[in-house]
Amino acid sequence: MAKVLIPTPLRQFTEKNDSVELAGATVAEVMAALTQKFPDLRKQLFNDEGKMRSFVNVYLNDEDIRYLQKDATAVAAGDTLSIVPSIAGGAAVREVERTLPVRPAGGV
Amino acid sequence: MIKINETAWAAMVAHAEAAYPNECCGAMIGQTTIGTIDGDVKSVTIAEALENAYAGAQGARYELRPEDLLAADKKARAAGLDLIGIFHSHPDCDAYFSKTDLENSCPWYSFVVLSVKGGKFDHANSFLPNAEQTVAEKEELIWPKS
Ligand SMILES: [Zn+2]
Repeated sequence: MAKVLIPTPLRQFTEKNDSVELAGATVAEVMAALTQKFPDLRKQLFNDEGKMRSFVNVYLNDEDIRYLQKDATAVAAGDTLSIVPSIAGGAAVREVERTLPVRPAGGV
Repeated sequence: MIKINETAWAAMVAHAEAAYPNECCGAMIGQTTIGTIDGDVKSVTIAEALENAYAGAQGARYELRPEDLLAADKKARAAGLDLIGIFHSHPDCDAYFSKTDLENSCPWYSFVVLSVKGGKFDHANSFLPNAEQTVAEKEELIWPKS
């Protein structure tokens, strides 16, 4: 069994569970088991064509599955899968006229 | 409705002003109380400043690293709290939800936008984007007024 961590806003679809233990040999199998168990979760994670929504990322332990074998990545007992969204944006109104230097990366 | 406490709000404003003239971003952590007189109330008690990972000019763009968001989510879980929102700033621009914001959003969280004008906080709004990334509804936002 692998553990899938459920982000807070999705717990309304998982009977309030913050994590769910599921069987499956690959990421695809575990995610299929998850959405079979909680069908309302399906449209949160997958679009109408059955593809994972563009903003949904899956991490196996601490690694993005895109850099492993994507949804064919093998899952072992005791592994943890996390669902993490991609988020970006911007006011995007003055990109052309702005000539300010980019600050060096680094949080506060 | 989303309510931000004094400590979290001070951290958000400080991060937005420090990043100016660039956009900043971060995570909001707290708790949601379901079914009060005001409906569901999200209370933010911790604001976590995260790095703007956008590779180009950051004056009008931001990007959160999913790894950083995952770390913020783990920190929230460890404290018995929840990751409930994302914040970012709009330097010299109003706190609206832009097309770029909408097309790179996620429907699971509240998105608080802080307008920073001339390096000082001006106003803020919160938005709830839909799963199709086509519409973002405005959400009532309450922050401690100084
Ligand atoms: Zn924005």
